[in-house]
Amino acid sequence: MFALSKTVLYTCPYVPAEWIAAHGLRPCRVIPDSAGTVFSLAGREGVCPYVRGFLAEVTDGDRAGAVVMTTVCDQMRRAFDIVARRCELPAFLMNVPNTWQTPAAQQLYVDELRRLGRFLIRHGGKSPSNDALAAIMLEYDATRTALLEARERLSALRYAEEIAAFGHDGPDAVTGGYRGSLEPITRVPLAIVGGPLMKKEFRIFEIVAESGGRIVLDATESGERGMCAPLDTEALREEPLSELARIYFGGIVDASRRPDSQLYEWFEEKLTERAVQGIIFHRHVWCDLWHAELGRLKDLIDVPVLDIDTAGDFGSEENRTAGRIGAFLEMLQ
Amino acid sequence: MSDAPKRITLEQWDLQYEKLRAAGAPQPYYGGPLSRHLKDGDRRLLKLSYDNSAAALRLWNLLLTEEDRLHEARASGRKIVGTMKDLGTVPVMAYSLKNAVAFYPDGAWWIPCVMELGAGLLEIADSLGIDESFCPVRAMLGAFVTGAHFPLPDMLVCSVGATCDDFSAIAQRLEGLGPEILWWEMPHRREPEPDEIAVTLPGGFVAPKRQVEFVKSQLQGIKTALEELTGERLYAEKLSEGIRKANQVRRCLSELRHLAFTAQRCPIPALEMLIAEMLAIHFCSDRQETIAVLTELLDEVKARVQAEVGVLEVDAARIFWVNPVADLQVMNLLEDCGGRICGTEYLFSHALDEVPEDSPPLDALAQMALADPMVGSSIDRAQRICADISLFGAEAVVISRIGGASHCALEGQVIGEIVQDELDIPVIEIEVPPVTDSMRPTVRTRLEALVETVRARRRPVPK
Repeated sequence: MFALSKTVLYTCPYVPAEWIAAHGLRPCRVIPDSAGTVFSLAGREGVCPYVRGFLAEVTDGDRAGAVVMTTVCDQMRRAFDIVARRCELPAFLMNVPNTWQTPAAQQLYVDELRRLGRFLIRHGGKSPSNDALAAIMLEYDATRTALLEARERLSALRYAEEIAAFGHDGPDAVTGGYRGSLEPITRVPLAIVGGPLMKKEFRIFEIVAESGGRIVLDATESGERGMCAPLDTEALREEPLSELARIYFGGIVDASRRPDSQLYEWFEEKLTERAVQGIIFHRHVWCDLWHAELGRLKDLIDVPVLDIDTAGDFGSEENRTAGRIGAFLEMLQ
Repeated sequence: MSDAPKRITLEQWDLQYEKLRAAGAPQPYYGGPLSRHLKDGDRRLLKLSYDNSAAALRLWNLLLTEEDRLHEARASGRKIVGTMKDLGTVPVMAYSLKNAVAFYPDGAWWIPCVMELGAGLLEIADSLGIDESFCPVRAMLGAFVTGAHFPLPDMLVCSVGATCDDFSAIAQRLEGLGPEILWWEMPHRREPEPDEIAVTLPGGFVAPKRQVEFVKSQLQGIKTALEELTGERLYAEKLSEGIRKANQVRRCLSELRHLAFTAQRCPIPALEMLIAEMLAIHFCSDRQETIAVLTELLDEVKARVQAEVGVLEVDAARIFWVNPVADLQVMNLLEDCGGRICGTEYLFSHALDEVPEDSPPLDALAQMALADPMVGSSIDRAQRICADISLFGAEAVVISRIGGASHCALEGQVIGEIVQDELDIPVIEIEVPPVTDSMRPTVRTRLEALVETVRARRRPVPK
């Protein structure tokens, strides 16, 4: 593996960590602690707490060499303008198409990866050979596979933390050795659905467990839903960059997609496979993309749904959230 | 020129209408007294102030009869295309065909204002999970559900990608209710890299040729769909002719804007100018009549400027306005507070810039679509606003926030900072809901403070 020098921050799951690592840089997926405070945004209404938290992390200190943001959500797209104006940090805005069915949209994503590559080279990276890229992709894929297979042996909290650690520090951060026995599911199996969770919001996994439930499907952006598809090793040999685009652009389902039909196909499959009895729908206020999915989810999925909206200050919201989750589980038991 | 220009009430307009009729003033097929629209539930009309010219009457009547025209188009066998979000591009294509008429269902965002919430559209959106944390464009969902405000389109087209999340989410919710949508991708406009071919777009923004080609490929898909819908081929010559007609509208508006924003006395009120600009987007479902209406309005304004008369005091504070208002009455309010509009960026500057006529037509439309101020960065948009402020001599800026709109959360800060850094003029942000009645004193106070600030800055600094 290359010596990883500069850290490149990102948070969107459509940014392939392997591509950054293949350029000899250290990919670091930022999951903010909480909404945080950005002095320049004080008093502004309507800003998504996750965007606020991400901006606070990115604009605070000089621990990174660059930041990569995407156009997947409008607020993050516009937050790029704040970063560009206020930060010394080199910043890259990657166009990730919302449409996904056409070869043109897929090609646009590949072109953007190439453009990202040029940006990385301008900021200390080096152009990867196909072999080097393929080797890194295999390493990441093996770790992801191990993580996914370990799900039933880990508590929901630990599973979420392992995924977060993998995003933050790469394959080396994943402790592995998940040899414990399969935990029998005696608690009410739930799914958590929504955009990304902030670190303090991981407490929800514990609250669910304390209330007699277990999250068997983490369908948040920071969880299993934000992980890309498995590699096709044959395609990898032929053209690693195209395969990278396929597993990310073609492999991650999201509320931003138009149409969003893939998301519901994925839900149907996973909710049935894991015998989910209830859904915790977690959304940050001002996140229009996920907020609008709540009504669709209720229309399309025949499973009880609990809507948890949050302004990103989990500390002050914990009691209310715990009470609601407790009542939801009582209803399901 | 009509009588001495002034702003009048709806009641006064009825008297004025009788006077015009008695004088034998010609009326278009959709003409008549403005107050007749009250029976449609358009109660906000009672609270607005209007320009007193025959040209303005024609403009209002064109606007308020659009639904009738759409029904007539349906009855005559023309296909109705609902174009969403791109604000100005796809209608140029649709109106190049004989058998198609295009409109923006997005325009339903003004229904809660015009009907003073009486249509119940926002309540329907609420019931579908699209509550007040979304932009008022959520009224569109209610309009589709009731089917009471426009005929359901034969085809729906929606741009996504570099658009606001509210609209994208609401459109997806709409599709979930049944109507099929042809989604097309609008990439975020970016700076060309050093080794990329750059294209200067209408209005002055620059984009890589690669992005223009991508958008062209998306428009090609829409063209094919339109051809299938109408059974009519959209040859390059037809599209070029459609672009020429669109440019006729745009040239007229350009002259109108220049006169309205730079004349020593404001020749036409802000509200009529807002409506005139809106016509550029989809021609209010009648392209030919739009050209006629704007030409008459331009003649009226030219005559007023020549006669050095206007509707406001000569010392009115010159304000640049950013974003359209959900409540039309706020445009009146600005003038009541002593301001006048000297420059606008209502989210659709690209629909006002001329489409290049020296490029292949689909290329030209792709360039125009990419020139949309909302598909690029807020920094780009702020630069354009600064250039227009300098062009029109505005003395202050109002950034009108659209409650719940994803772009308003952060862009106001960027635009405000850049305008202040580059031009050192006052900037305020106000939020305008569909009906401002309950917060009118607050909005009024802020606008009055801005006007006072502008006037104070005019006074020479004592030595």
